Formats: sequence, C-alpha cells, structure tokens
Amino acid sequence: MTADLGYGMTLVALGLAVYGSIAAGAGARTGRLALVESAQHAAVGVFVLVTTCFALLTYAFLTFDFSVRYVATNTNLGTPFYYRITGVWGALEGSIILWSWMLALYTIILIVRHREGARELYPWALATMLGILAFFLLVMTVAAPPFQRQVPVPADGRGLNPLLEDTGMITHPVALYLGFTGFTVPFAFAMAALITGRIGDTWLALTRRWTIVAWYFLSLGLLIGGWWSYHVLGWGGYWAWDPVENAAFMPWLTGTAFLHSVMIQERRRMLRLWNISLVILTFGLTLFGTFLTRSGVIASVHAFTQGSIGVLFLSFLGLVLLSALGLVAWRWEAIRSEGELDSVVSRESAFLLNNVLLVAAAFTVFFGTVFPLLSEAVRGVKVSVGAPFFNQVNIPLFLSLVFLMGVGPLIAWRRASLDNLTRNFLWPVALGIVAAAAAFALGVRSVLAALTFATTVFVAVTIAVDFTRATRSRLRLGESLLPAMGRLLLRHNRRYGGFVVHLGILIIALGVMGSHAWSVQTETTLHRGEAAELAGYRVRFDGLTAVEESNHLKVVGAFTVSNGKPLGVLRPAKKFYPQEQAPIAYVDYRLGLREDLYLVLGDFARDGSQATIKLQVNRLVSWIWIGGLVLTLGAALAILPERHKSA
Amino acid sequence: MNNNRRHKFIAGGLVIAAALGYMIYAGVTQSAVYFVTPAELQAAPVPGKAYRLGGMVVPGSLKWEPKSLDLSFTLSDGTATVPVRHKGTPPDLFGEGRGAVLEGSWTADGYFKANLIMAKHSEEYKAPHDQNQAGYRELIKTLRGEGR
Amino acid sequence: MKRLWRWLIPVAVLPVLALLAYGFKVSPRDIPSPLVGRPAPAFALATLDGSPLSLEGHRGKVVVVNFWASWCYPACYEEAPVLERNWRGYRARGVVVVGVDIQDKREAAEKFVADFGLTFPVAQDLKGTVSVDYGVYGVPETFFVDRKGQIRVKHVGAVTDDVFRATVDRLLAEPSAP
Repeated sequence: MTADLGYGMTLVALGLAVYGSIAAGAGARTGRLALVESAQHAAVGVFVLVTTCFALLTYAFLTFDFSVRYVATNTNLGTPFYYRITGVWGALEGSIILWSWMLALYTIILIVRHREGARELYPWALATMLGILAFFLLVMTVAAPPFQRQVPVPADGRGLNPLLEDTGMITHPVALYLGFTGFTVPFAFAMAALITGRIGDTWLALTRRWTIVAWYFLSLGLLIGGWWSYHVLGWGGYWAWDPVENAAFMPWLTGTAFLHSVMIQERRRMLRLWNISLVILTFGLTLFGTFLTRSGVIASVHAFTQGSIGVLFLSFLGLVLLSALGLVAWRWEAIRSEGELDSVVSRESAFLLNNVLLVAAAFTVFFGTVFPLLSEAVRGVKVSVGAPFFNQVNIPLFLSLVFLMGVGPLIAWRRASLDNLTRNFLWPVALGIVAAAAAFALGVRSVLAALTFATTVFVAVTIAVDFTRATRSRLRLGESLLPAMGRLLLRHNRRYGGFVVHLGILIIALGVMGSHAWSVQTETTLHRGEAAELAGYRVRFDGLTAVEESNHLKVVGAFTVSNGKPLGVLRPAKKFYPQEQAPIAYVDYRLGLREDLYLVLGDFARDGSQATIKLQVNRLVSWIWIGGLVLTLGAALAILPERHKSA
Repeated sequence: MNNNRRHKFIAGGLVIAAALGYMIYAGVTQSAVYFVTPAELQAAPVPGKAYRLGGMVVPGSLKWEPKSLDLSFTLSDGTATVPVRHKGTPPDLFGEGRGAVLEGSWTADGYFKANLIMAKHSEEYKAPHDQNQAGYRELIKTLRGEGR
Repeated sequence: MKRLWRWLIPVAVLPVLALLAYGFKVSPRDIPSPLVGRPAPAFALATLDGSPLSLEGHRGKVVVVNFWASWCYPACYEEAPVLERNWRGYRARGVVVVGVDIQDKREAAEKFVADFGLTFPVAQDLKGTVSVDYGVYGVPETFFVDRKGQIRVKHVGAVTDDVFRATVDRLLAEPSAP
C-alpha cells in the first residue's frame, strides 16, 4: 500500500512540476499573471507531495516495512532507530528524494522572497527551477523509484552499509546537497536574465545571498566529509582526491570564483559574461557531480550502483549546458561589459587572477578525474592519476590563491599607486618574511611549509592592518574600543564577514600543511603487554574484548597510551556485520590542538594474544575543523541584512 | 578595450594557460598509473613503472607474518600469475579467492612490490551469512574467555 | 563571420559529453576466475526432495550451476524467476539448471523454492565443500558448464534473461564430446 501510494504521489508531483514550469514560462512570455500564480500553486503542490513522500518513506523505515524494496535493502531488524531515519538518504533512491525535496524547498523560498521584487526575472526563474525539479522527479519515477514493491516480502532486510552508521551520515549529505541544490537558484536567475535580456546587475544582486548560503553549505559538506573520512575510514587521511570527492570540490572552486567575481561586476560593471558563464559552469558541475556518483562511469570508493540513471543524468547535463550556453551565445552582444581593466596592479586584476586560478584548479581536478576515460578513449590504455598529480598541480595554485586573499581586499581599485601599495603591504610582507625566517630558524626545512607560513602570516597581517586602521578611525571620532569594533563588523558585515571567512581558510591551510609535512606513522605487531613508541607516545597493548550489539559483533582492543604522563586508554575496534563481506575497522584517536594520536586495529590473533596496529601521529589536523568553525562564523556574518552602506 | 591592452590580455592568458598545461603534463607523466592484468604485466614488465594490477588472490598462496609485517601472495587472472609482496596489514576485504587491486611497481627481483592494496567490493555480493556468524561467535567466545 | 564564433561556446561542450558517454561502454565489473576453461568440479548432493544430484548425471548437457541463498537479498530474489523461466524454456533442448543453496536453513530454503515455484533441482551444500571447490565467495554466482564439462562462464551477481540466453545459446551451438 505504502509503495503504491508513494509511487502515485511521485507521478502527480512530476506532472505538477512539468505543468508549473510550462505555466510560469508561458506567463512570463505573455505577461499573464494568472499563469504565474497557477505555477506558484503547482510548486506548493509539488513541495507538499515530495514532503509527504519523504515522510512516507521514513515511516516505512521506522516500521520495518520490508514490502518496500528500498527499505529491505537498507535496513534490517537490528538497525538502530536513528540510523533508520538517516538511512532514508543512505543510498541512491533516497538521495534523489532528498535532492528533490531540497529543490522544492528552495523553490518555495524563492517564491516567497522574490515574487514581489523581481517582476521580469521571477517568472522565468520559477520556470527554470520547476523544470529542474521536474527532471529529478522524473529520475525518481523512472530510474530510481524509492517505492518499488518487494515481492515476496523478505523476513529480514539487508541492513545499512555499516560505514554509514555514523553521525557524519546525518550531516554530510544534507549539508552537501543543500550546497549543490543551492546553486540552482543563481543559475535559474541567470537563465531568467539571459532569456529576458536583462543582463545587468539585477540578477546578481538578487542572488548574492543565495550564493553565499549555497557556497557555505558546500564548504561545510566538504569539511564534514573530510572529518567523516578521517574518523571512520581508518586510513588517517581526510581527502583522497577520489572522483566523488573531486565531483563536490569542482563546483566549490568555481562557486568561490563566482562569489568573488560578482563583486567586480557590482563595483565596476565588468566581467558580466564571465559571471554568467561561471554560474552556468558551477551548476553544470553540480549536475556532473551527481552524474559521476551515480553512473558508475568512473570507479570510486563512494559510487552508488549504476544503471539507466547515468544516461538520464548525462542527457540532462547535456541539455542544460547546451541550452544555457546557447542562450549566452544568442545574447552575446548584450552581455559584453562596459568597464575596462585599467591596470594590472589593481583590485580588479587581483580578483580576476583569483578567478583564473580557481578555474584552473577546477580544470585540473576535472582533467585528472576524467583522465582514465580520456586515455582509454584516445590511446586504448587504461591509466589513472592519483593524489600525487592533484597535489603537485594544485598546491602552487592554492598557495597563490591564499596570497591573493591578502592582496585583494586591500589593494586599490582601478590602479594602485606605489603609495597605496606601501601603505597597505609593507608590514604584511615584512612580517611574512620574518615568519619564514623564524620557521627556518625553528628547524622547518620544507620549502613548502615555510612558504605556507609566510603566506598565511602575510594575509593575517593584512587583515589586522585593515581592521586596526578602520577601528582607529572610529576611535578618533570618539567611540570607545569595543563598540567601535562591534559597529565596524556590523556596518560592514560583508567585508568583515569575508575577512573572517578568509581567516578560516588560513587556519585550514595551516592544518593541511601541518598534516602533510609533519605527520608520522608506524605499523607493528604487539604481544599482550608490549608497547610501541612513536613521536614521544608510548602505546601498550593490554588485550582484546568482544561485545555483541544489536546488529553486529564488535571486537575491541585496549591500548594504554602515555607520553611521560598517562593519557588514558584507546579502544580501536573491528565490527563484524553479518551482511558484510568483511569486518569494518573503527579507529580510536586522541585529538589535540597540536597533534592527533590515531590508532587502527589491523589483524589480531584469535586468542587475543597479539594485535597488529597502525599508529599515526597527525599534526595540526584539528586546525582544519577549527578553521571550518571560523568559516561558519564568517559566512553567518556576511549574510546578515545590511544596515546601511557607508564608505 | 583598446587593441594594445587586449593583446596584452590575450598574451597573459596564453602564458597562464601554457604554464598550467605544462604543470598538468608534468603531473600526469610523473604520477600516471597503468592498469594491467597479471597476463599483461608478465608479458612486458617494466621495473620501476607504476602499475595498478587487478586480479584474484590465488587460494593457498597467502602468507602473512604479523611480527615482520610481511605479506606475500600470488595474484592471478586465470592465465598468468604474479608474485606480490607488501609490507603491512592487508585491508579488511582482502583474502584468498577474492579480487584485489594493487598499486605498486615491478621490481628487478621478479616480484610485484605493492604499496597499496585495495580489495574489490561489489554491492551485489553477500558474504556467507551463517558461516561467518558461526566463526565470529566462536571468536567472541574465545575472546570472552580470555578477556576475563 | 565574427558573429558565428560565439556559437563555438555551446558546441565546445559536445566533446566532453561524448567522452563521458564513452564511459558507459567501458565499465567492466568482471573478476577473472581461475576456473574458467577448466573442468567443472564434480559434486554429489541430494535435492530437497531427496533425489541424488550430481554433475556426472548431466554429462552431455549444458549445465547452469547457480549458487544462491535465501538470505541473499535482493539479487537472488531477482534472478530466481529468471532461472525458473529459462529452465522451463530450455529444458527440452538439453539444458539443466541446478541450484546449490549454501549456508542456509532447510526451512528457509524450502520456503524460497515454494515462493518462487522453482522446479529445477535444488540441493543444499551442507558441508560447504561444493562452494569451496567452485571458489564461491559470495552469492549469487552462476557457472555455465558446457557439454564437455568445462566451466565456460562465471557470472557474478543476479543472472538476467539476456545473459542466460546469450550464454546458453552459444554453448548449445557447440558440439558435445565425441
């Protein structure tokens, strides 16, 4: 019953979305408001239906309704309660529902926010959103129906992939999808701008907050993914340049570029063509990401299973890109910008360079990801490129980008005079060099690490210079210190929100550098009572114990850790899930500001007398997560409604 | 935009594109990993070249020495076999009679030195249910006996 | 002329799409089996209704040996109707489908057979020796044995109509042992 009801609702939602998209478009074309309003009602209908479908599926999960095939494949009688909820989006079909639901939600928000303020653009934006929503509903109906019946009804389900039984499973896909789907809205407005010919700044101004929100969630999703990888997957790393990771990273890169280049268009009316192309590219990359994860075209640790869904996604991606870029070609004359670049040494140049570097990085990641396909198609040889390729090409790009983070906000518009340069950059450059020298003096020999240090100090000092200067001018006007700083942050929340986000990136950069340059590891087999030593830590193997949980068996190792003083006991484990081919290892770790102690239980003797462990001391990794928190604060500050624009 | 500036721009763009192209080319040639089967590798092994080798672990060939962390086994594709050595615990999905994908290089001493072992995982596979259960229950029992 | 250059932009997308589409052709999920091309290991089991079942008893026919289990979900559930359908269709032509149930309880196996209305011989591999002989490490796995008793194809995962028919037709076309 559930299955049929759910399927029926999906079909109706699909119909409504198609109708709404056409009605909104027709309403925009003919100017008949009644059509647009009808489309709005259709959108509301779609939202209600998709929400109900979602609720229905969750209900099926919670009540162990194994007559629904998706439920049977992803839970079993032993799955704990909360994972029965998060399991709803744990596999392909559920992830499409989640995506569709978010798109529907964003459509409603778009309606509420913009139906008054953007008369010409709004109907076309609505039509685009509903059209895209219709596609995902089509996927839900045809290629990945969540409500397929399972006959005969099995007595027990298969169970959730144990790797997904983790708190990260609750947040990571949600954040990531909020980010991906968030970029649909700026894209929809860009399409509206192209179709109506209103390619000025209106569409940009409307989408500014959307872009920041989408960008933020994408950043958050990536960071949580890194955290999940780090503390669950047991390889001691947070990023592997896996095709699926790359698929999420590429839109982040172009999205970041877009976030910056809109500022140029706002201020100088330049780069209009570039901005529209960037938004199309970013949205295209989000579709490419979904395609990659679901088509099985490129092998990956993360990939869901393949099927007809790949063809659907590729066709849609092609349709979107061809129509959007076709519109760009059609409106070419109108888009060409008015402003000119005056000098290479200017804020416009810095931002342009920032964009070029980000797009270059995105291209590199794309190239590396599809390289296996390319080499096979061209030379018939199966080759892949791994982490070394991505690191080698991207690290210089990223380091330059970090450097630009310091230059961009302070350098003058149009043309920076020598005076402007010295006033803003003398101290930062000097202190940056001092930092590099200090690092060298403290024993740092890696050139990369020293460069990273110098650059991060440089950027940090530029932020400090700007903030102090601005505060000082307020103090001169008679304000006292804390209110001055507070008002500064609030009045210019865009600028300072951006600064805080940059600070977050700096902290992340330091964390990445530390973990790459200074982490150490060892692997060894210990008898009971024996200890391993690494980087000042002493890890003693005390023994193994076994525990039975609701849906798995767990073997836990006890290891006493000390570094001069006792630090407690670490308990890495291996969980044996009956439906899985092999046990899943669970790391235990001791996180710290300076370093993390990371312990994985490998092989062990059946009688518990010996254990093989992998021991890692990862340096500065916690800074990555801290940087993420700072980034959150910055994004929140930047989104605040503006008080009033002062100089 | 006047022509002079436009030319400067295009030149600048080309320089950046060329630099990027060079970096990518260098990166690819240095870190390219070639997919081969045991038969392909045995046909023309090149010492030092980075390979990704896929095949089945031949039952009975697996030797694991926990103390020295030496792992050795034979990988086969039904037609040819390759002796493999690896330092460190194999991943959990790895075992005899199962598929595995290795990254490493061919040594002059006649074996494949694996730096990375990735075991093949298929969504359609279900592990023998009760057999593992029985085995693990025994394991738990022994450990419980020991653990006290 | 200049007006036309701008249309290069959308057109430039096409090669990328073509490359990605190429990816559909080339994703093999085969795991090579050392047994392919070798004689199929003999076995002697008893079916669920008590009759003897051995590979020798079917020499000269194309034998489809299917390893399955009632807890193997969803793949075994998907392929059961396929196997039954094709068994009925090909049985007159000298093809036999043999089901080997591994690591299962008898009641569960019987329920599965009853639910799907399976009429081909099904036996339980109680000792587990047959699955070891065939190198089975997951279910479902299906081995297509030709008339000379050689394993020719090992199919991993649920068998589809296409796979069954294509393979069996090919093996039927070959001559049996002299």
